[in-house]
Amino acid sequence: MPGSDSTAHRSKSRRPKYSQFSQQELPAFKLILTPGYVISTFIVVGLIFVPIGLISLFASETVVEIVDQYDNECIPKDFRDNKVEFIKNKQTNKSCTRTFTVPKQMKSPIFIYYQLENFYQNHRRYVKSRSDKQLQSKKNAAHIRECKPMGETDNKDPIIPCGLIAWSLFNDTYGFSVKGKDLKVNKRDIAWGSDKNYKFGADVFPKNFQVGDVGGKSLNSSIPLSEQEDLIVWMRTAALSTFRKLYGKIEDDLQANDVITVVVENNYNTYDFKGTKSLVLSTTSWIGGKNDFLGVTFITIGGICLFLAITFILLYVIKPRPLGDPSYLSWNRNSTPTPGR
Amino acid sequence: MLQEADIGVGISGVEGMQAVMSSDYAIAQFRFLERLLLVHGHWCYRRISMMICYFFYKNLTFGFTLFWYEAYASFSGRPAYNDWYMSCYNVFFTSLPVIALGVFDQDVSARLCLKYPLLYQEGVQNILFSWPRILGWMSNGVLSAIIIFFFTTNSIFNQAFRKDGHAVDYEVLGVAMYSSVVWAVNCQMALSINYFTWIQHFFIWGSIALWYIFLVVYGSLPPTFSTTAYKVLVEACAPSILYWLTTLLVVVSTLLPYFLYRAFQTRFRPMYHDLIQRQRLEGSETEISSQTEVSSELPAQVEIKMQHLKANLRQRNQ
Repeated sequence: MPGSDSTAHRSKSRRPKYSQFSQQELPAFKLILTPGYVISTFIVVGLIFVPIGLISLFASETVVEIVDQYDNECIPKDFRDNKVEFIKNKQTNKSCTRTFTVPKQMKSPIFIYYQLENFYQNHRRYVKSRSDKQLQSKKNAAHIRECKPMGETDNKDPIIPCGLIAWSLFNDTYGFSVKGKDLKVNKRDIAWGSDKNYKFGADVFPKNFQVGDVGGKSLNSSIPLSEQEDLIVWMRTAALSTFRKLYGKIEDDLQANDVITVVVENNYNTYDFKGTKSLVLSTTSWIGGKNDFLGVTFITIGGICLFLAITFILLYVIKPRPLGDPSYLSWNRNSTPTPGR
Repeated sequence: MLQEADIGVGISGVEGMQAVMSSDYAIAQFRFLERLLLVHGHWCYRRISMMICYFFYKNLTFGFTLFWYEAYASFSGRPAYNDWYMSCYNVFFTSLPVIALGVFDQDVSARLCLKYPLLYQEGVQNILFSWPRILGWMSNGVLSAIIIFFFTTNSIFNQAFRKDGHAVDYEVLGVAMYSSVVWAVNCQMALSINYFTWIQHFFIWGSIALWYIFLVVYGSLPPTFSTTAYKVLVEACAPSILYWLTTLLVVVSTLLPYFLYRAFQTRFRPMYHDLIQRQRLEGSETEISSQTEVSSELPAQVEIKMQHLKANLRQRNQ
């Protein structure tokens, strides 16, 4: 055949230069799932996960949390059938007093949250309705394109801060007292530092806010936006339809069996869309607030892995199969075994 | 004839380059044909079929987390992640490992491919790209998305996620879920391939590292550009132990079903290349080679097909 034998006689060899990379012979680690690997992987995962789960669960159990849903109870009995009318009426008395007992000692700082349910702060149109440029600097006051319908007043004067998110600012307030003594609520440092320093300008003041249709809280127009921490916290939109937002901190300890009295100003209208409002007091641990899910799931997955390790050990011991048996090949399995194997 | 065939192989030689120009593959000598078929043919088949299945898997995992989130955002169309995260998913964070798989993966070394030519039947019988396999990978993707979404949203729910009391918001949940997706998809790649050179290590672990680097860089751009990602990793997520623990939990839980399946499959239903790998590992190659050399019989399905063809030929000749 031309060419096959004459390569040796050619003066110039056309053989490509050898390199490990081009010949695909790089040194490699070949991972094969032998019984040893499988069992040891399961055991390692199990031995790591179960302790982590126990520690997380313990941390979550040390958190003391009080949740009080007040939106139904805070409507006077005469208005229970017509909650929307009650809440929209400016004349009615919205004050309401709630009491609850502290179950365990709560060490400071104790965080106060308001929790809303069935409130879709993650709706696309709602989230779009804000103007980051306007919030950041005074010179962008006229940037209201994204904020319709809450962009400007009837006189075409821009609203600062514009948009539905700012307009629907939560406006219930809470006053705490224990044993007749008022508890001081610290409302500073509840917003993220990056929001206060960069996203909300120190030269931007509220203007034309909540004139006309009132959707929520009004803002003091002599305080710049970078110090309006309630607004900043509210404008950091929530992920799901059930969410909590930080209202303030209590810097004192609360002892077990203390009776806390809360005076709630029930202003915010969640009754139109069947949302609920709750007040939450919670301590934190290194893992955050109270949530058993992480700890329980770690323990479950760790337990499953250990169980699977034991199962595999039993399987490999009880049913050892001779290795390299070609009758298991897929194209031989449908037929009867042929002689010679 | 070269152009009529499914695959035409031309041999470049003294007679000129005409055959080479109209062929799909060109080789220098006829003896290279054996290597072309048995080694590169087998590798290519495995690489392409794995790559396609994995592609479906990784995009299903990513896309379905978005879909489940929509159910919790009243189907308004708000994506769970920042726009730039989504744009960069297929470009920066998951593309390099797939390239490493499609170009470099080897389940059996070249020497063993030549030694066990029966391995080529895997391609002929279309074993690695059958419908059960494709649908299996797709359901793995959907299952992974379910595990990722529900475990993340239940661990990082509405409670504070840090010691300083800050509650969860959209930014944090997006980063937590996306990190889990990137980790899970890349570690799944690490589980599926059996051949780790420095290239695979660099691409897989590098893609994961690239995600965190991207978060830091993107998060330091001015808020009018980076909107919801502004300082989200350095300020909000990285100091939160809950975030890291959730990533660990979700990634391991997502990979567990596939790992279990692989462990069972290599034990009870090993494919031919699994057997060869195990033999090579244990050094006892004589057992399997003697069996294939002794039996000169063709595989059963090929036998049956040949009998059909013979019968057809006999009928036509009558």
